[in-house]
Amino acid sequence: MAPKVEDVVRRKLVFVGGKGGVGKTAVSQAISLGLARSGKRTLWATFEDPTRPQGVLEPRGPNLWHLNCEASLAFEEYAAMKIRVPGLTKLFLQNKLMRYLSKAAPGIHELVLLGKIWFERLNYDHVVVDMPSTGYGLAMFQSTANFSKAFSGGPIYHDAEAMLRSFHDARETGHLIVSLPEEMPLQESLELNGYLMRYFPDNPAAFVVNRRFPRVGDDAARDPEVGRWESPLAKSAEDYARKRTALEAFNLRLWDGIPWGQIEFVPPSPTNSASEVADKILSQIQAQRWLA
Amino acid sequence: MTMAPIRLRPIDEILGKRVLITCGTGGVGKTTLSAAMALRTALLGKKTVVITIDPAKRLATSLGLKSLGDEPTDLTPLVRQAWEKARDAGANVPPELTGTLHAIIPDTRRTFDSFVHEVATSPALEKRILANPLFQIFAKEFSGANEYMALQRLQTLERSGQWDCILLDTPPSRNTLDFLAAPKLLGAMFEEKLIRWLVVPANRLVASGMKKGVAILERLTGAGFMTNLVDFATALFDVQGNFTSKLNSMLALLESPDSGFMMVTMATPDTAPEVRHFIETLASHRFRFEGVALNRTLSYFSTDAGQSSGAYARAFEVLQGLQRRERRVLDQLEASDIRVCATVPELARDVHSIEDLLHVALALAPEARWK
Repeated sequence: MAPKVEDVVRRKLVFVGGKGGVGKTAVSQAISLGLARSGKRTLWATFEDPTRPQGVLEPRGPNLWHLNCEASLAFEEYAAMKIRVPGLTKLFLQNKLMRYLSKAAPGIHELVLLGKIWFERLNYDHVVVDMPSTGYGLAMFQSTANFSKAFSGGPIYHDAEAMLRSFHDARETGHLIVSLPEEMPLQESLELNGYLMRYFPDNPAAFVVNRRFPRVGDDAARDPEVGRWESPLAKSAEDYARKRTALEAFNLRLWDGIPWGQIEFVPPSPTNSASEVADKILSQIQAQRWLA
Repeated sequence: MTMAPIRLRPIDEILGKRVLITCGTGGVGKTTLSAAMALRTALLGKKTVVITIDPAKRLATSLGLKSLGDEPTDLTPLVRQAWEKARDAGANVPPELTGTLHAIIPDTRRTFDSFVHEVATSPALEKRILANPLFQIFAKEFSGANEYMALQRLQTLERSGQWDCILLDTPPSRNTLDFLAAPKLLGAMFEEKLIRWLVVPANRLVASGMKKGVAILERLTGAGFMTNLVDFATALFDVQGNFTSKLNSMLALLESPDSGFMMVTMATPDTAPEVRHFIETLASHRFRFEGVALNRTLSYFSTDAGQSSGAYARAFEVLQGLQRRERRVLDQLEASDIRVCATVPELARDVHSIEDLLHVALALAPEARWK
């Protein structure tokens, strides 16, 4: 049974996942902003977002920091931490094979990115992670699990095991799945949840549907035009609004039985910057008392 | 809001390419749009096939079909029915239907295994690669295999000479550019030098440096890693030549003047910079940029008048905001002299059939005059 959103977002480490384009970045940013404003030392983490500087810890206001993790830096940091002898670390990292492995070796990339977050959690009250979209996000947990299976004995194995234990622990980690009220993202969310349940059976994810269109007319109205040569295009703005209301209600049948939360569409405006959108989402989050 | 018309590059000109590849991130409606473009190409009288790397088989579902297979499925009878119905309803469709439409959804479950089968030079080698635990991770993590197999499919179809137009809908990815980078990334994995170093170190100095690095690495990974790695690298070394020549002939097809790339995107604050970046990257790969299709646009209906109060007020506020954003994106693209080839309407309901797809295909250029 899925937990409520408020049970998940208050945990120490929150992974925000879902299909590409559903608003994971804005939602995770809003949650981290809310936690920071309530006085908690908070880290908002993204993974190799190409539009932001990588690997630099950026202060974002009182109690809030942002880190756009980068794998080769994380790899170097990890190697330094484990090898402990600076000269040896340097030798190791300059080795061409190692440089190659840190980039191209299967799974290392994901493992070190997730490992970075896992170590960083010790420095904050809360860490909110903007995960890559479904498949790539899952691959991060998958690599960790694969590594712990493939290489028993070494420090990587022990760290990977410890990471998995913490991500499985509902007292420490929360998994939040964000979706749009469209068929494919809703469906993909369920698939993502299914995979997460395999890795973390005792730590089920909570669900949020983002960007709900303002409801007009009857939720239950079904599309009467299927079957005739009637266009799937709208005839007018009113027609669009009505059909969209019905369509969203129809799509959300996929989540029947799940106690999902929702965030209304933030109307785009020319001045809407990412942080303004996060602010507007945060006020919806606060109105629903998801954060303490 | 009503919009002044923008200058578009005719989509039908682009559909004249023999090989057309659509790129875009997940969630922009790329699969539906690619299918609609393929259908339009058939309306233009061509023998068309669309390849969709769609593990969830959504294309089949959205077309109301039970399944689409690994071999070309003929959709022409369904297209004909839809076309007749549209013609009888007085829609702007061509007077004759002479083209054909086929679709393929390659089986991706065993893609990586088939990739190994493809490049391995002997059954024994194939077996050895598949049995290596590193390969197990590699196969799960590495995204290049889907792309490689898709390209190979494309090449086979192209060589058959049966098709006037082959449309490849690239696999869903986090980044629009993943598809472009994939073949070369896979190539890097096979880079001769690195593998050679590992397998047959050139001299003692390299060998001893390697040994040291490896010894430290095993401190982290635990013992056994190295045996597997060398075994894996040796196997890669053995298939490397075969792989590289195949890869090169695929790249040659992509670089040829008969092939072109399109980007499918939606209006977001980042659209214009993303499109510019896409075009630059294409150029650096020596691939041809054909145009951008802006999908899920809302400017085809007006929000000027009507019920802009009461229950509709919020809905109109959102719609007007989206329309303005759309306009801004189109203006930015035009200012950068980027060719937009179609603005594709956001649908008010899901696509359920080829008939629905025909609506989208016609909406790609609503004013078209069919000969």
